[in-house]
Amino acid sequence: MTDTPGAIVWVHGDCLRPTNPALEAYPDAPALFVFDDALLEQYQISLKRIVFMYECLLELPVTIRRGDMTTELLAFAAQHNATRIITTDSPAPHFTAVCKALRKTLPVVVLDEPPFLDYDGELDLGRFSRYWRVAREYAFG
Amino acid sequence: MRRDFAMRDEMIAYLRAQFPQADARDGHISETRGGRAAAEAALAQVDPPRYAATRNRLNGAVTRLSMYIRHGVLGLAETRDAVLAKVRRRQDAGKLVNELAWRDYWQRLYRKLGDGIWQDREAYKTGLHARDYAADLPADIRDGQTGMACIDAFSSELEETGYLHNHARMWLAAYIVHWRRIQWQAGARWFLQHLLDGDPASNNLSWQWVASTFSHKPYIFNRENLERNTGGVYCRDCPLRGRCDFEGTYEDHADRLFPNVPDRVRDEWQR
Repeated sequence: MTDTPGAIVWVHGDCLRPTNPALEAYPDAPALFVFDDALLEQYQISLKRIVFMYECLLELPVTIRRGDMTTELLAFAAQHNATRIITTDSPAPHFTAVCKALRKTLPVVVLDEPPFLDYDGELDLGRFSRYWRVAREYAFG
Repeated sequence: MRRDFAMRDEMIAYLRAQFPQADARDGHISETRGGRAAAEAALAQVDPPRYAATRNRLNGAVTRLSMYIRHGVLGLAETRDAVLAKVRRRQDAGKLVNELAWRDYWQRLYRKLGDGIWQDREAYKTGLHARDYAADLPADIRDGQTGMACIDAFSSELEETGYLHNHARMWLAAYIVHWRRIQWQAGARWFLQHLLDGDPASNNLSWQWVASTFSHKPYIFNRENLERNTGGVYCRDCPLRGRCDFEGTYEDHADRLFPNVPDRVRDEWQR
């Protein structure tokens, strides 16, 4: 899958490593990170957090922009004549919302992070102790 | 945005200009470096048995991997594998793997709850209602002007470095919620502004654990506990030494902070 015309990779703040699943699967696709102004404002993010993330980004093969996440991603996709957007999964509601907005225009392929637990069964999340009762069997790989 | 910088200072000056609002909110820069190379250097330093033995102390061998894990600079499974590769017997890394599992747990809950992590998961078990807690963080806490050496130091460290030891986070959170009766959300928002590892799920649900809206009892501490785990560095020079709000036994504090807690709820605390 190294030669992938028509795809861009969306790198977001939950996967800032060169080996994240999307970058690894599509190493030749143009990649974009967006500092979302609304998100920075919503969380009232201080400068040191931006500096830290920026230092992470400088080690990745990505274009860095700021603005509205969805708008910038679609503009970047259009610029590269991309027909789909590849990214790495995140549990954040904002991520889900952006995926939904993007899908009005382009398909989005979401690749999973390697699982911490090799386990697909039920987990009681009511308390950590209940989760751990099952998870401990799988947490050591 | 620009990618070519000769020096870190040049990058910082550029980002100050690009993000003037973030700079105006708080312009401190952390010494902690971002990036995979820095993350791998931190990972190489990790000593799982020493971590397990000393992690509760402020000068203990904590890993300082949290900011890298939070942003996926290090994958969680990858980190666990690297940690296990450092020990001969897996139980020697048991505590650290358990702490990594907390991250997995919070992320699973985030997927399930979404923005629900901002709401009280359960009622407070303090004999108080959510409305009894103030909505905003008082300026003296944010400014490090409470007069309590420990609290003021934690506040400054948070804003200046973007990092706090886990125990310091728990003490500061307990002080804010229980001693000052502030809604945990106000403290959670403050932490997320500054912590390099600030993750909404880990952060908010841990605040809820302290507050008792996601646990069966409120988390409190006393001066003896703080002094022991800090090597006494704050108490030694504190102007309130010997007469601060944290003096006394856990029972004293529970009686004073939660005078209206019903017996059945208090019984549950012992569970």
